[in-house]
Amino acid sequence: MGEVLHTLSAGELGRRLAAGTLTSRALCEALITRFKALNETVGAFTHLDQADVLAQADASDARRKAGQGRGPLEGIPVAIKDNIAVKGQPLTCSSKMLAPLVSPYDSHVAERLRAAGAILYGRLNMDEFAMGSSTENSAIRKTFNPWDLARIPGGSSGGSAAALAAGLVPLSLGSDTGGSIRQPASHCGVVGLKPTYGLISRFGLVAFASSLDQIGPMARSIEDCELLLNALASADARDMTCFGPADRALAPSGDAKKLRIGIPKGFLGKGVAPEVAAAVNAAVAFYRAQGCAISEVELPSSDLAVPTYYVVATAEASSNLGRYDGVRYGHRSASAGTPVEMMTASRSEGFGPEVKRRILLGTFVLSAGYADAYYVRALRARAKIRGEYLAALAGVDMLLTPTVPTPAFKVGEKASDPLQLYLEDIFTIPANLAGLPALSVPCGKSGHLPVGFHLVGAPLSEAKLLAAGRLFEAAHGFAHQQAAL
Amino acid sequence: MAEGFDIDHLAKLARLSLTAEEKALYSSQLNQILGHFEALAQADLPALSDDARVVDEAALRSDEPGPVLGSAAVTRLAPASRDGQISVPRVVDDES
Repeated sequence: MGEVLHTLSAGELGRRLAAGTLTSRALCEALITRFKALNETVGAFTHLDQADVLAQADASDARRKAGQGRGPLEGIPVAIKDNIAVKGQPLTCSSKMLAPLVSPYDSHVAERLRAAGAILYGRLNMDEFAMGSSTENSAIRKTFNPWDLARIPGGSSGGSAAALAAGLVPLSLGSDTGGSIRQPASHCGVVGLKPTYGLISRFGLVAFASSLDQIGPMARSIEDCELLLNALASADARDMTCFGPADRALAPSGDAKKLRIGIPKGFLGKGVAPEVAAAVNAAVAFYRAQGCAISEVELPSSDLAVPTYYVVATAEASSNLGRYDGVRYGHRSASAGTPVEMMTASRSEGFGPEVKRRILLGTFVLSAGYADAYYVRALRARAKIRGEYLAALAGVDMLLTPTVPTPAFKVGEKASDPLQLYLEDIFTIPANLAGLPALSVPCGKSGHLPVGFHLVGAPLSEAKLLAAGRLFEAAHGFAHQQAAL
Repeated sequence: MAEGFDIDHLAKLARLSLTAEEKALYSSQLNQILGHFEALAQADLPALSDDARVVDEAALRSDEPGPVLGSAAVTRLAPASRDGQISVPRVVDDES
């Protein structure tokens, strides 16, 4: 039985745990065996405290035996991106800057998972401080795409997606500032949801760009993604942008076959690989055949999305990362000197190249004489993009595009060209700028590489997006897919 | 739009010390990226709204003391500490 546990969905594992045919300890032992066999190859995890996992599993089994099970996630491992705080576990953001840090507290989502009985299972690799689209910017290790180990898994939540595709864990948490959940989900053939801004508390998420960051669930099926979302979403006074309770977002959504789906004009044009366009067009044809109303919508300011995002995100990052000064926590340079020299040396030694690049860019767009030309204009463009999306979503239930223009590229292929890498996020960025929920659903392959489509809905329309994803998933063979390793 | 781009000044503002190679690389890359931002300069944009929120609802909590980490946990995180306090390089001289 141990050989097949890693192929099962969280939903199925939960049913077996509830029926008493499986224990959390047996499940965790099977996953630890798989971790030992595969993590060096895939590189999804940066840390796994096996003794702690088994202690959590034993506690879960004891609760269940005593009739005190905490719900559908009881005893199920959830792996966590290394920018989300879990008390007693490393919190490195895959950066040398935070290499020595062990979190002294739980994030809100970690509290929610503990309250649901889930096993907090290991730390997942990421681009340093979530800045990147390939996980090549990790200062700790490389992560490889389980479908082709010569290729990137996407990023920045590359570890979260690769762990699922490799069958190392049934559920994972990512964070998404410009596509960092959805882009790796698409590249690894799994489901990833960026919730409405404010649906899930950011308390305990290391800040990159606070007006854009959201934590979200990742899984191998829509059912599992929804299971995790339900556990995470709740009000939290420690994040003033978290509005919970989220009943409206999670309420049953009605008949998915009556959904109205908008296709943004021109989005399948230049820059989209033919195989990606074909898979997405097939998904559109599927929804039309199911009875959904398909129409074309106009989003005329879409070309502004990437520059707007990289002004807003780097501006916020340059401010948020000002806190890393080598004084209170994280790396401190051994070179002596004045406090300012110590801070400068600590930051220069602790941050990697992409983080430095973004801090410099963000510092520039906020600097005297340039803030009006860049930052303020980006805020105005953001409002315009948001207005266009909300206007389009007044006439349809959701928008459908590719998640990423091309399949996963080879490791190192775009490492020297940051602008090319920024353009990976062209379809995912607008949902962050507008605070909208967005879901990546596996929809086919380009050769052996997974392809996903992307649904964006109005605020708090998560249930509709998941219903649309479920309709597609039920008719196709992409749920629960794993790479052969 | 990128006239007057001064990598030394930016690095100083950002508290980063860059090698000559890094300065050359970042200058070139930032100029390329800023060139891509030119679309923002050309666009017809609405006036800046006071309402920058992406959701209409927001939670404000009462301003009351809550649980804190405590000095032992805080100094354990610090790169250097002494007598329950965080150590830093000398900020002021002994004599003024």
